[in-house]
Amino acid sequence: MLTYLIISLILAVLPLVVRTERMTNVIAALFFLLQVAGIALIIGYGRVDGVMLSVFCADSMALLFHSLMTVVLGFSLIHSSSYLKAEQVSTRSYKTYYTLLMLLAVAITCVYYSDNIAMTWVFLEATTICSAGIIYHREFKQSLEATWKYVFVCSTGIAMAYLGIMLLATVAQHGALDYTSLKEAIVEGDPLYLKVAFLLMVVGYSCKMEIFPLYTVGIDANYSAPAPASAFISTALVNAGFVSIMRIYTLYAESDVFEWARHVLILIGVLSLAVGAMFLRRANNYKRFLSYSTVENMGIVAIGLGIGGVALWAAVFHVVCHTFVKSSMFYHVGIMRHVYDSYSINRIGNYININRVGAIGFIIGTLVLLAFPPSPLFISEVKIFSEIVTVEKWWLLIVMLVLMCVVLYSIWSRSLRLSYHSNQDELHLSAVNRRLSYIASIPLVFAIVLGLWQPQVLNDAINSIIAREVAIEIEEVEIVATPEQACEEVAEDAETTDALVKEVEAAAEEVIEETTDENLDNNGDVL
Amino acid sequence: MILSLIILYVLSLIYLSMADRFRSHTMILALQGLLLFGIAMARMHAFHPVEMGFIVVETLVFKAIVIPIILMHVIRKTQINRITSSSTQFGSLVMSIAALIASCTITYYMHNSNADTISFGVALYALLSGLILIVMRKRVFAHLVGFLVIENGVFLFSMAIGVELPMLINLAIMLDILISILVLGMFLQRMDNDMNTDESDALTSIKD
Repeated sequence: MLTYLIISLILAVLPLVVRTERMTNVIAALFFLLQVAGIALIIGYGRVDGVMLSVFCADSMALLFHSLMTVVLGFSLIHSSSYLKAEQVSTRSYKTYYTLLMLLAVAITCVYYSDNIAMTWVFLEATTICSAGIIYHREFKQSLEATWKYVFVCSTGIAMAYLGIMLLATVAQHGALDYTSLKEAIVEGDPLYLKVAFLLMVVGYSCKMEIFPLYTVGIDANYSAPAPASAFISTALVNAGFVSIMRIYTLYAESDVFEWARHVLILIGVLSLAVGAMFLRRANNYKRFLSYSTVENMGIVAIGLGIGGVALWAAVFHVVCHTFVKSSMFYHVGIMRHVYDSYSINRIGNYININRVGAIGFIIGTLVLLAFPPSPLFISEVKIFSEIVTVEKWWLLIVMLVLMCVVLYSIWSRSLRLSYHSNQDELHLSAVNRRLSYIASIPLVFAIVLGLWQPQVLNDAINSIIAREVAIEIEEVEIVATPEQACEEVAEDAETTDALVKEVEAAAEEVIEETTDENLDNNGDVL
Repeated sequence: MILSLIILYVLSLIYLSMADRFRSHTMILALQGLLLFGIAMARMHAFHPVEMGFIVVETLVFKAIVIPIILMHVIRKTQINRITSSSTQFGSLVMSIAALIASCTITYYMHNSNADTISFGVALYALLSGLILIVMRKRVFAHLVGFLVIENGVFLFSMAIGVELPMLINLAIMLDILISILVLGMFLQRMDNDMNTDESDALTSIKD
């Protein structure tokens, strides 16, 4: 891990010392290959679940999200090159952008692999610093505002999360803040401290996961950053927030306040969904529009975590699929900007006649985002709904359905507007890049494939992540589903029961005999 | 000894809510760094050179010297001097006293045998004071001061509950905070150059 980190950091800062953009692209390609090699080595050498440098652990969650980040990073690097060339940025600016993007990728990777709650915090704070430069890349007045808000709110929010970690540390033995030790120690923790700690940590990390209450800075950041970087922030960085919250969630799973924590997540999820639904109607900028969609989707994920059971599996699956869909949508929006030089929803249109490939990609992306079959989001949302019905939270079902109807109408009407509404802005038809539109659609194809077929390796990874909660239920379902296995299970149970009964009988006979002997002795003494 | 230092710390927070000059804010932050150094030293049960060295670097070097120097540099570059409106000062003083009462109440209910009650309550008061500065003041420099007050409060809080983190983690946390301050200071200067203002009201151009 140390070697990987050192090489990653060297590659990330190398663009600052090279002279040309071409060399920067080569370094970026090497950085991407390093990520692929890192994942391959961990899996190939059987280092899964291995602890590295005593603060990192390559568990299923880290590997899954690192793989996703690598895919998005690859596409972001390709799109960034075209985007920056179209923007005609200076070589210095080009190199700085790539350096910051790669440093952000390193910080996010460290968040995924952190096996220590304080180190997770440290690397999340590091992502704030790396993101700041990317958000300010375009150097206009609004990007300065967005950057200030992002750094300030994230730093303050994460300082609050640190306070939560300190509260949680009161239950830790000898200051051990690794997740395994904390999980064991948390069972004996003061419930009030645990509740306050959970609230502070979730609120602090909400700025990264883009959920209520600190979601606003993420929206501004995505609005201000270049579109390929927005794709990366809106997926890989949001996933880093999700991983951090998921680790806290798992930590609390055996504590007395777990039920309370789940209710908090449901409340945060509903409020995020409501914010998404409300602002999707109002947004007049395609990037802000997609960012609010992220808030809405992460709200659904938070509800999934709060409900638990099969919805927990669905929540993780939802995050995985959302990564592909949302990154693709941001890449399409980035290509669209070259044509219109604007993101204005009310002014631009007629995209279907300008860039048919891009327009169809965007419409299909919208349909997938709206969870129309064969969208993978359809599977996750149906599973979440089914679990809500199982636990009989009818109020939640109704609220979610109403809000999702608003979301559906808003997203669909806005997306169709891009293709079929008349255009009012200046056009730059020479900037139409169909090849790039095809590339932007590739993550979308991945998402649709996941909707039709979920590979066993993905199922295993998700089951491993949620092992404590849902895996048991899934096992039970599988046993009932196959009658032969069920009969064998019953027979085994019966044999075990018979053996136990015999043991108990034998023990009881021994006790009776001993008691009788003692009584006889006593009687003898008395007599 | 510890009690008198903590009382001084509380007084510094009350003064901070009334102070209108940014130089005073910076000096109070430096004083808080010194007080935190004193409290940390007084709480040490045995002589640990590494731990002591770390406390010196974190409190004396960073909190009492480096960060105030950065803030003074920002003040000189941006030529900001004081908070513009006096009504917010009175409001923040009232809010600060309310926060003090609230912290005492919360500490009473959250009392835990493992934690030092007085430090716990003062740390909570520092956190609330920082939030009040951020919410009540319009100039973004005051927001930066509020953020630093929160950071100092978190440090005091970690002492109150007696958490000892590994040195690597402590170092990483300290560097993170320092870089955040540098980045915020840099953007504050940019804001002054590009927008000719450091009022938070000017930061409302991004809308839906």
